[in-house]
Amino acid sequence: MTVIVRLFAALREAAGTDRWEAELPGGATVRVLVEAALDRHPQLEPFRPVIRAAVNDAWAGLDTGLHDGDEVALLSPVSGG
Amino acid sequence: MEIWIDITQDVLHPGPVWGWLAASEGGGVNLFLGATRRMTAGKETVQLSYEAHDTMARKEMRRLAEAAGERFDVLRVAMLHRTGIVPVSEASVIIGVASAHRAAAFEASRWLIDELKVSVPIWKQEHYADGSTEWQGEDWLR
Repeated sequence: MTVIVRLFAALREAAGTDRWEAELPGGATVRVLVEAALDRHPQLEPFRPVIRAAVNDAWAGLDTGLHDGDEVALLSPVSGG
Repeated sequence: MEIWIDITQDVLHPGPVWGWLAASEGGGVNLFLGATRRMTAGKETVQLSYEAHDTMARKEMRRLAEAAGERFDVLRVAMLHRTGIVPVSEASVIIGVASAHRAAAFEASRWLIDELKVSVPIWKQEHYADGSTEWQGEDWLR
């Protein structure tokens, strides 16, 4: 399946990109996607302890299952307001 | 309950927010404005810049506003956040609450800004006087 991965802020700057399409095996979870992203962009490794995910604009845990066409945002600690 | 959510690069003006909240005809209107401060931990800020996951941030802000309506006896909730560059002494966020009586307006405003700061996908970047920049929360990486 194909999912769209998006990065923002510090993660975007570290990886040098804000978006790509990832090919994942059926049944893959957010955790699998995070590992794939760290593999593709090793500059993200220092952020590993603090990376959280959102799937289709909602916060999602690492064990959340993904589906074809999902948009997954990898998010560093937020700092709005 | 009525809700006004916005994310914009334009300057945030409290006047129209006050006018909209006042239309609720409640007795208590609370406005919180978060502004760019000059000094933080001994370092001087020239400006802040904010970046948002726009679609998700709007949904989260709406979710928080709706939750405030459940938790507090409020009539209207406004949450506006600015993105892009926010110079010192300009507002990055406006939280506004109208309620019949003042206690709920104070409490809901406090709750909303506290919740926004932990769950809305917006990020602040410091631009310091020494020319360096830093996303908030990055210092632990160094």
